[in-house]
Amino acid sequence: MVDLTRVQKELQECNKDVEVSGIRVAPKADSLIHLIGTIPGPLGTPYEGGTFNIDITLPDGYPFEPPKMRFATKVWHPNISSQSGAICLDILKDQWSPALTIKTALLSLQALLSAPAPDDPQDAVVAQQYIKDQNTFISTARYWTEAFAKATGVEEKVKRLIEMGFPEDLVRSILEAVGGDENLALEKLCSA
Amino acid sequence: MEDWMSCEEDYDSSDRESPDGFENEDSDSHWMPFKGPSSKVITKESLLAAQKEDLRRVMEVLSLQEHHARTLLIHYRWDVEKVLAILVEKGRALLFAEAGVTVGENKDSDMPGSSSTVLCNICIEEFPGNEVTSMDCGHCFCNNCWTEHFIVKINEGQSKRIRCMAHKCFAICDETVIRNLVSKRHPDLAEKFDRFLLESYIEDNKMVKWCPSVPHCGNAIRVEDDEFCEVECSCSLQFCFNCLSEAHSPCSCLMWELWTKKCRDESETVNWITVNTKPCPKCHKPVEKNGGCNLVSCICGQAFCWLCGGATGRDHTWSSIAGHSCGRYKEDREKKAERAKRDLYRYMHYHNRYKAHTDSFKQESRLRETIREKISNLEARDSRLRDFSWVTNGLYRLFRSRRALSFSYPFAFYMFGDELFKDEMTKEEREIKQHLFEDQQQQLEANVEKLSKYIEEPFDEYEEKKIMDIRMLVINISVITDTLCKKMYECIENDLLGPLQFSVHNIAPYQSKGIEKAVELAIGRSSKTNVNQHPESDSQTNGGNTESDQPSASGTSDESGCPSRKRARKGSFGCSLIDLNLPAEAIDRN
Repeated sequence: MVDLTRVQKELQECNKDVEVSGIRVAPKADSLIHLIGTIPGPLGTPYEGGTFNIDITLPDGYPFEPPKMRFATKVWHPNISSQSGAICLDILKDQWSPALTIKTALLSLQALLSAPAPDDPQDAVVAQQYIKDQNTFISTARYWTEAFAKATGVEEKVKRLIEMGFPEDLVRSILEAVGGDENLALEKLCSA
Repeated sequence: MEDWMSCEEDYDSSDRESPDGFENEDSDSHWMPFKGPSSKVITKESLLAAQKEDLRRVMEVLSLQEHHARTLLIHYRWDVEKVLAILVEKGRALLFAEAGVTVGENKDSDMPGSSSTVLCNICIEEFPGNEVTSMDCGHCFCNNCWTEHFIVKINEGQSKRIRCMAHKCFAICDETVIRNLVSKRHPDLAEKFDRFLLESYIEDNKMVKWCPSVPHCGNAIRVEDDEFCEVECSCSLQFCFNCLSEAHSPCSCLMWELWTKKCRDESETVNWITVNTKPCPKCHKPVEKNGGCNLVSCICGQAFCWLCGGATGRDHTWSSIAGHSCGRYKEDREKKAERAKRDLYRYMHYHNRYKAHTDSFKQESRLRETIREKISNLEARDSRLRDFSWVTNGLYRLFRSRRALSFSYPFAFYMFGDELFKDEMTKEEREIKQHLFEDQQQQLEANVEKLSKYIEEPFDEYEEKKIMDIRMLVINISVITDTLCKKMYECIENDLLGPLQFSVHNIAPYQSKGIEKAVELAIGRSSKTNVNQHPESDSQTNGGNTESDQPSASGTSDESGCPSRKRARKGSFGCSLIDLNLPAEAIDRN
């Protein structure tokens, strides 16, 4: 069974210094098994300014087994699947230690965002791009951050598209269909 | 094997009254596998002892506790020599660090006093000092958390390398602590843990392997210096130590794997069908053309054109079918068919010969029975001849050389085929080598057949003079056969496999005396001890006894008994000087 007392303590501990770390953990629903972690994109990286949500599921053996983590926010990064958000990070696998916490794992994810390891990729396409064409990689990553990791983004995009003369219902449904990509939505709207 | 040994002993005692002076009695014991076998059988009972032996060596050299020595040996795959080499090369600290062994004094300094409470960093609770445990690395957590950690790791199959819970601490946990804590909550899991540690000696050790017998005999075999060898377990299964399939020397393991697969697949039957038949366009059964013109009529009544396989009417002349034309030449198809045909014939050539010899040596037990009968018939006769070891010796020589001969065919199939060594030799080189090899093989084959012929003769009905003649022949041919086997192996090792550039093929060396029987590991004795130092052990019947009768033989037996993989070429074999009834290796030395 998951050691709920410890999880509770971890949550308290973590939320104490949210201002400093910017890292938040909150229960997804009532249970302490499913959690949502939030990390700010590290400064000086293409992820700067974005807020990234991470789906956390605690296995029965937690903390003796590593927590399962997955990016809920779409992110363009060699070690994170651009499709599923699956993460390739050793401490979430065999290098996990019971002495680590959800917070330290999230900090490691933040560190991973600023220091990709393309030699051990989760997403081969992204990793190839990272190795061969840094500039394109940076602009794509920045673009994804812009499109998916900015909470305010959606409303602004809706507003801009309505201003172009499209009906609000359609704008919202199409934006959702293309995953928040404003340009794609515009294309669809124009061809619709 | 036992029969033979007993006959051999008879021979020794009777030989001195032998009527003629042909034998060289002193060297005769060379025939037997009396050399202390380099492979050992490890049973459930001796596994612990075998492990302890290696543990003790490491503990002594490094003055370590047992659990540290075990961690070290598990990490270095039970290779004591390697541990010692690393100790010399890199030093103690690095040797330990790599294996996760912490031999520290920090244990005491970090030990919390029993009065104060300690915060466990895992469950984040306070505990009195007697409910927490410090590992050798100094990290201290509560017993509950440790136990939970151990249980998870054992269930994950990590028993052999359970690391400390602290992040980035690579120390391996003390097995005694693990055992104590886990057994309090899950005694059966603690047992499982112990078994994992015990079996690590087999699982993580390249010199020890489970016997592949089915149902499993429970034994493991340990070899001393060369994993490319063939052994016989005490359950009497003979196998190749390296690949664990049946003994197959002089085929390499890869060749043997390919060969058995090929034979099993029956892919060649399919090949034959594609080459020699065409499917009927109506009922799709394969149809073979057994003569006549190109209008073929299937058993179902459908007529079709043999050239293109298309359905036609029945109206035709010798050269054309009415209303049908498919005269365009398709070179491709023809070439393909031709190649498949050639490959098939090639395979059949080798397979037939392989099969013939295999079948022959599968008759082993039957032939042995007849021979036993013949011997007892002869013994019943009131005759000067009382020594019949030449019969059994000849019989065993026959089995052994037949075995080598039979496996030499799949060897040749791959050695001179395109599959494995296409880029290793030019066509001309290959041809030369093939001739060289086939020459050896044929000489061996001829002598094996001769030996077989004489042994199967009803000599028990012959008069004494004629028996003596056959005896001479059998003895002579046995020696020649042995020599030829050895020469064939030399050719394979030095001229064929040795010069390979791109691949390594190792074969089990030729054992003149047959596949070595592994002896049971004597508990409480060093593995390196020679067998004849404890002849009282039952399992070593073949060993010491006879040797102690013939002390002069022991000195030279080792070099010849187990030839190394890359044996040095020996000088020419003085066949004219052959001492009768002498094994080939004895002659080599002279």
